[in-house]
Amino acid sequence: MLLYRSDEFYNRLSHQELQTLMNENNAWIERLTAQGKVKPGRALERRGAIVTGKNGRVVTDGPFAESKEAIGGFLLVDVETLDEAIAIAQSIPGLAYGGSIEVRPIAEECPLDVRARELAAKEQLATV
Amino acid sequence: MNTQNQNGYMLLFRGNDWIKGLSPEEKQKVTDQWMAWFKRLTDEGKAVAGNPLEREGKIVSGKNRVVSDGPFAESKEAIGGYFLLDVASMDDAVAIAQECPGLPYGVRVEVRPVAAECPVASELKREAEFASV
Repeated sequence: MLLYRSDEFYNRLSHQELQTLMNENNAWIERLTAQGKVKPGRALERRGAIVTGKNGRVVTDGPFAESKEAIGGFLLVDVETLDEAIAIAQSIPGLAYGGSIEVRPIAEECPLDVRARELAAKEQLATV
Repeated sequence: MNTQNQNGYMLLFRGNDWIKGLSPEEKQKVTDQWMAWFKRLTDEGKAVAGNPLEREGKIVSGKNRVVSDGPFAESKEAIGGYFLLDVASMDDAVAIAQECPGLPYGVRVEVRPVAAECPVASELKREAEFASV
């Protein structure tokens, strides 16, 4: 999964720059789609809520649009290796204007399951 | 905040280090709760996708497209997984986020409306409208 982190850099671009970026973006996604490497990705709106607290009672506004770390969108890429996913992330046209791409492997199973199994195995060993 | 959004919502589960202090029984319990929660939402047609993410990964950034290690496994802000929801309002999405079994253990859930289009395209449209006035 590619997570796109940036502030609202597009507000600082000229019309010409925006148009160029848009064209580059469209060509980029068309190429990856033709190669069968992407599943649909989406942009996220620059607003939302954060739910925290034991019973989820605390609801605050967020994330902050000006933050460079805020997630602006995601793309699921259908490739076999982390290197291939990184290569795709490096070809994202918008990177020229700042921001960063977080590249994360989708887990086979929930890490909670894995950890619970490891601990159970360890306990079993201890009791033998 | 009861905005309608036909594009759905995304829940981002933040926090990576909260599982460390739990006993195997507690871990199993939370896992079972989480799986049952996702299955119920899927059966109800409210969740359309969801995945846990591996704790490792890379960050690509800058004009020179530099690759560095990340995210940091200890981080309270690191994203551990996501759900995509097919619900119409922010209130519905927040209500689902409030059911997250990880909340008692310190997980934070970020609720974000999915945008109809890329913000670069929206910005171009806004400029075009402004220019034609």
